Amino acid sequence: MLTMTIWCVGTLLECLVLVRGFRQALYRQFPIFYAYLLFVIINEFVRLAVYRWDSAHYFRVYWATQFLSLALGCGIIFEIYRVALRSFPGAARMTRYVLLIVFGAIFAKALILASEDVSSLAATSLILERNLRIVQALAALTLVSLFMWYAIPFGKNLKGILLGYALFIGMSILQITFLYYTWDRIRPLWTYAPSVAYLVVLGIWVRTLWSAQAVPAASNVRLESDYEMLLATTRSQFRRTLARLGWAARA
Amino acid sequence: MPSLALAAVALFAFALLMLRTRSEEAEDRTTREGTSAVQRSSARGLPPAELALRIFSPTDRTFIRLTRSTQLQRLYEKERRDVALHWVRRISHEVRQIMRNHRLSSRQSADLNVVAETKLFYQYLQLRFLCVLLLVLIQIFGPHALVDVAAYTSALGQRIGQALPEVTRGRRVPSSGNVAA
Repeated sequence: MLTMTIWCVGTLLECLVLVRGFRQALYRQFPIFYAYLLFVIINEFVRLAVYRWDSAHYFRVYWATQFLSLALGCGIIFEIYRVALRSFPGAARMTRYVLLIVFGAIFAKALILASEDVSSLAATSLILERNLRIVQALAALTLVSLFMWYAIPFGKNLKGILLGYALFIGMSILQITFLYYTWDRIRPLWTYAPSVAYLVVLGIWVRTLWSAQAVPAASNVRLESDYEMLLATTRSQFRRTLARLGWAARA
Repeated sequence: MPSLALAAVALFAFALLMLRTRSEEAEDRTTREGTSAVQRSSARGLPPAELALRIFSPTDRTFIRLTRSTQLQRLYEKERRDVALHWVRRISHEVRQIMRNHRLSSRQSADLNVVAETKLFYQYLQLRFLCVLLLVLIQIFGPHALVDVAAYTSALGQRIGQALPEVTRGRRVPSSGNVAA
């Protein structure tokens, strides 16, 4: 009964976010996010129908839709990057390189693992999903770190999407890890936790995406218009500071 | 994927560092007026080099020691430690400010050079590390820690230098004896 109530509330909240998004024309700014949400709602009904009338195929349908959902989730991270860094080509360039390094490292690690142990290639869907969620989490953390480093203004809507989705990814990783390793021990505690956490995520989205808010304009602190000049200025300032620290040692 | 989890932890730590940087920047903003006032007054006062030399020089300590007053020495140590800590904190604040200005300008540059930015970030980390190291040294050993370490190293070098000929002599005797034999 409680599970059914949580499911109904969750679906209602998803519909509410979607309706508000269309009424506020937020779907134009975040098309992938709203496509993801629409997919999640349709997916829930499809899974329910398959479970009820054709349960033999439920497992196959579940994993197929789960990986589609994961792919759309990666799209959300790309959308956050695109929307937030639209006015900051320098920061966008740096983010691209850092993400490239992160993904390169993950790919290299996967290759090493594959060459070391062929059986790991046939890993279960559960582990594969967890690993993909970890990759998403790494990408999201990289983005957040660089946004903070470059003081990128988020705006309420983007901040809400990012916070909610990051919470969702974190919860998914925890859930799958616990499910895989210690399911029997934590079953009594963990039965409702993911569903309640998902309700919290939806609550964040309802609150932050209730109305459209423009991303605040960045403070225009351009000291140097020429990048080479800016680099030279910063370097010489660093050299002067280092010299001052040197005087302390020479005293 | 334990290394992936490790990388996630490292990135999380980096994000926390960024958060700390942000809160420091917020503090900086509130104290900016005060700092600029200090900078204006220091522009009229001693030049930076002389100021640093004066703060960290052991001359004043030697003079205070001549008074043979423990209370005065303790007072001097405390005051000079505070002044030195303030000086290093100000340098650290300036380093953060320089990097902040650079970040705010470079984020809009279409021709940003990633390699140059990485090198600059490394230099920034080195400077911050030096400041932290200085703060720790001053906090633990006092403002003349660097001078004391240098003096100790020099004295140690001299002692080793004095000891070396004896060792060499000690080794030469039997060898020359062997040659003679």
